[in-house]
Amino acid sequence: MRLTALVLSGIVATTSVAAEQRKPGAVPLPPPPLDLSRPEGVIAANRKMACSLEDAKPVVFWWKGGAYSRVPGERDRHLFNVEGMNIRQCGTVQDPQRGSGYRLVSREILLYLDLETGNPLEKWKNPWTGKENDVVQVTNDPVNGPPIFPLGADGAPAKWRGTSMKGRVWTSGEVPLFYKNPLGGDYQEYIGGDYQAMEMLTMFAYEKDLLDASKKEVTDLTISWARTSNWLPWMEMGDRVGMMIFTTVGKRLLKADDLTPLMKQEIATHYPAYTAPPPLDDARPNETSWTYFKKKVDGKRKEGSR
Amino acid sequence: MKRPFAPAVMLACALTSLLPGGASAAQKKSVTSPAKPRLDINKPEDVIAIDRKTSCSTEDGKEALYWWKGNVYSRIQGEKDRHLFGVHGMNFRTCKSFSDPKRGPGYRSVSREMLIYVDKDSGEVLRKWKNPWTGEEVDVLHVANDPVSMREPTHAYAADGTPKTLRGEVKDGWVLGGGGAARLFYTNPLGGDYQDYVGGTYHAMEFGTDAAKLEDLTDPNTTTVKDRVLTWVRVSKWLPWMRMGGRIGVVVFNTAGLRLESFDEMPEVVKTEIRTNWPVYQSAPPPDDPRPSMTSWDQFKRWRGEKK
Repeated sequence: MRLTALVLSGIVATTSVAAEQRKPGAVPLPPPPLDLSRPEGVIAANRKMACSLEDAKPVVFWWKGGAYSRVPGERDRHLFNVEGMNIRQCGTVQDPQRGSGYRLVSREILLYLDLETGNPLEKWKNPWTGKENDVVQVTNDPVNGPPIFPLGADGAPAKWRGTSMKGRVWTSGEVPLFYKNPLGGDYQEYIGGDYQAMEMLTMFAYEKDLLDASKKEVTDLTISWARTSNWLPWMEMGDRVGMMIFTTVGKRLLKADDLTPLMKQEIATHYPAYTAPPPLDDARPNETSWTYFKKKVDGKRKEGSR
Repeated sequence: MKRPFAPAVMLACALTSLLPGGASAAQKKSVTSPAKPRLDINKPEDVIAIDRKTSCSTEDGKEALYWWKGNVYSRIQGEKDRHLFGVHGMNFRTCKSFSDPKRGPGYRSVSREMLIYVDKDSGEVLRKWKNPWTGEEVDVLHVANDPVSMREPTHAYAADGTPKTLRGEVKDGWVLGGGGAARLFYTNPLGGDYQDYVGGTYHAMEFGTDAAKLEDLTDPNTTTVKDRVLTWVRVSKWLPWMRMGGRIGVVVFNTAGLRLESFDEMPEVVKTEIRTNWPVYQSAPPPDDPRPSMTSWDQFKRWRGEKK
């Protein structure tokens, strides 16, 4: 799950906007609003939505919804429910050519939940194969973004891609993903098996919060995340035709303690690292559900061969 | 743990019935009489009022307008999803009160709805579209459904006595709707008489999410929820006018929007198209409109008939 990648896809900001306004001895004037026509304003706006203009401030997102199958010729099935969380922080990064930008680092969980009990699934009866599969919950550490600056690597200024209407403002985007599957072999362009998915994320905020330069973050923010993708690897669907469809709704939380009792309990019991974001200088490559699954399978195979 | 919060219905309903919302503070009337109690999210009669505020208005015949925009992609196994075109949607609706001695207060909504396809680069209304798989240039048929209405009124209590409950999850002062999906799989009106044997069934999934503030939603002094945002996503077979025949693949719509207060607030491209070519969509149908809902399939059949 790459919620973070989406959050970053439009983006980025600098902390200097507010700081510039201060003059010693003068009556402090309210800073002028963020200017979305300037790349620095775009960076600041995106950063306020994704995390905070304050370095190293932990921010938590939460969402929940359903997961469905699509197989041509049969009615879509409601397979299970999902609940996710992401804990992140941002740090300012300076670049002599590209300006003052930031980098976001995060950890992310997506739980697959039983339709009836609402509890995290441990086993799942695959209705097509009849097999009972071990469920691998999504725990991706880290999910980090590349640093983002007012100017792109090619010198192009960051552009605001949000929509403003009636005091509301939102960003909505789709990221079609098509790349070599980490679980696939070396000849995917010949025999298939590529990773294919589309991530869709919408974030709604209020324009006055977003543009107010005296506010370091936008807290009144709701989100909607949807995804179409290949079957999840742990479903053991092999080459069977079909896809997954996820639909969720959620929001930015005021504090980590606002997570649901279920999520808090899961974190406390199984995933204690997810109470904090990774360090700002985290250099590890990103984990995805696919790379994580590969590690699991490889570990199991090693055990089996012993 | 609750099941996904909202059973989405068909497109129009998905956008409006998913979630109760609330009226903004700016809309509050000055309170002179003793303060009315807030609407109770656990009381079926109040949930009906909340639903009405969210979908339309507690006042009969008062019009409500929704607008949303986004993008349409293809998904074909083995190739990267393609961005095909953009889309604007709008729904103009109104509600009428009903009352039942056993089932309590209720209402029925009626609406008109459009989806207008636009060029992905210029944003202009799409008239012709070059199909990248067949190479054919096809005429574009926008969705124009008049009416899209509730079959029957909905009441505080269902026919079997089940009380109406708040759809949505209350979180930090917000009510969030979503997670459910309308899974549509039925005999295609454009298909033949043997679809069970040879395929061609209509197959789609539609789902919406929405968000409104709890305090607006339970405000007893307002008739509508003005501040309400939503998303609408759809995964379906190819659109008939794309002339994709039996080719494997689906289209994925991803959109976001909000409740508006007047036709004039919509983007110019939508207003111009409607005023020029679909003038009836400048208002909702009459509240007691008895016609059954129309679908894009009926519309497509009529369109094909006119072209022949």
